[in-house]
Amino acid sequence: MQKYEKLEKIGEGTYGTVFKAKNRETQEVVALKRVRLDDDDEGVPSSALREICLLKELKHKNIVRLYDVVHSDRKLTLVFEYCDQDLKKYFDSCNSEIDQSVVKSLMYQLLRGLAFCHAHNVLHRDLKPQNLLINKNMELKLADFGLARAFGIPVRCYSAEVVTLWYRPPDVLFGAKLYNTSIDMWSSGCIFAEIANAGRPLFPGGDVEDQLKRIFKLLGTPTEESWPGVSQLPDFKPMPLYHPSMTFGQVVPNLSSKGRDLLQRLLICNPNQRLAADPALQHSYFTDLSTAEL
Amino acid sequence: MAGNFWQSSHCQQWLLDRQDVLRERGNDLKNLSEEDYQKLMVFFANYIQAIGEGLKVRQQVIATATVYFKRFYARKSLKCIDPFLLAPTCVFLASKVEEFGMMSTTKLTGTLANLLKTRYPYAPQEPIRVNQILEAEFFLLEMMDCCLIVYHPYRPLTQFLHDLAHSKEIKDENLSSLAWKICNDSLRTDVSLLYPPYQIALACLHIASVMIGRDLKNWFAELSVDMEKVFEVMQYILSLYRLWKNFDEKEQVPLLLQKIGKPSLGPSLMDVNSCLL
Repeated sequence: MQKYEKLEKIGEGTYGTVFKAKNRETQEVVALKRVRLDDDDEGVPSSALREICLLKELKHKNIVRLYDVVHSDRKLTLVFEYCDQDLKKYFDSCNSEIDQSVVKSLMYQLLRGLAFCHAHNVLHRDLKPQNLLINKNMELKLADFGLARAFGIPVRCYSAEVVTLWYRPPDVLFGAKLYNTSIDMWSSGCIFAEIANAGRPLFPGGDVEDQLKRIFKLLGTPTEESWPGVSQLPDFKPMPLYHPSMTFGQVVPNLSSKGRDLLQRLLICNPNQRLAADPALQHSYFTDLSTAEL
Repeated sequence: MAGNFWQSSHCQQWLLDRQDVLRERGNDLKNLSEEDYQKLMVFFANYIQAIGEGLKVRQQVIATATVYFKRFYARKSLKCIDPFLLAPTCVFLASKVEEFGMMSTTKLTGTLANLLKTRYPYAPQEPIRVNQILEAEFFLLEMMDCCLIVYHPYRPLTQFLHDLAHSKEIKDENLSSLAWKICNDSLRTDVSLLYPPYQIALACLHIASVMIGRDLKNWFAELSVDMEKVFEVMQYILSLYRLWKNFDEKEQVPLLLQKIGKPSLGPSLMDVNSCLL
């Protein structure tokens, strides 16, 4: 570990503290994630193993790079590529204003990272602005695969932060198992709207019921007709029959009509009808994007 | 995770060259003959199987654990970490990676003690402690460069059997189960270190078809694969069967273990470190 000089604490991850550090030889700035081994029985925690496994296999410019895993003093440290900030911090810095070309670029990169994960049968399952890192060149990288477990339920959450419901699709809120790529697509839709509104979350629900109500107030309450099988989901409970009271033009006023069309295809309650990452990348919203520079 | 094998760490870092494997093994082959070494590998693969069965884990966990074990000793001497410690460590790590769920370490050490007493009375009986396993887990991770996702021949085998059933209308339960069994046996050879899983699957299928007298020549001829490689894999597996026939574990393993010499087991970190360098 002498190779790295610790600079400052950046935050708390799922299973340990994250530090900014500098490689003494190359001067390269990296992020160090120290894995806690406080449970004498578990050895290296599954969540850390999960992240190591996946990032060892997934190498893509929109996925945070795991450079190295260092063992010392019976501790494990993951060495990651350093990014200046996450999307949440970026929102804080942009004063409720965001250029629509930035929105498009960020969304494209998010979908491209996701398409790569999904092509490798990896679901992220916990997408949220805090898990999307942005470097100084405005390159977006998916991070924190520590929660990406088989059932998407975090083993343990060390940080004080409550695992947020805001980006969960209605099928999962109704108790569906998280075995499908559509879960990430819903989250990407919520994040799309949040980026377009410069950081105002789309569905900031307080609990499961509130979360569902917020979703259905915008999209209308699903029925057996619009979503066959919905009432058979494990935690299904009848909800008030809302009819959409707002248009997407009111929800995301700054987004172009093509952008709104893409958003609507991502925010579909029935997971089988939700747009997948590959076709989303082909959507006409992105045709004028110069992808060469991304 | 069933991603793309060709871009995987398994393909890029852990398909080894036969000459390299033999060279790395050189130290152990000072005390052991090539055949002795193979016998020990068969024994420990069986041991891992027994641990896995004792803990009721899936075959996938056992297969992954066996490949971890082989990867470790492909780089390090048997004297480095006692294989009786590394074997359960591999099962412990594989069960987490394959998402079999959290394995209780108390249950693991209990199973080990019981297994050694009842089925392996001729093996060293010193109890394995939890902290030794946790320590060995670190070395195992490090030695494998954290490449934890292993691709096994089972999935390609299933696809080949499916294709056979559809294109040739050959659907034979005996063929399937025999080929599957040979895949399990292939874990006792070096092939998982040397060949991609689809070639191993084809070799197992080929052996199975010959054993039950099914002519698959045409089907094999239509595949555009390097049959030379498939035949190489078959040679490994067939020589395993020859070796196995005359291998009485009870009688031979104690002698073989003596030949390895005393491994620097886990408790003294210094020893292990010096041998890992």
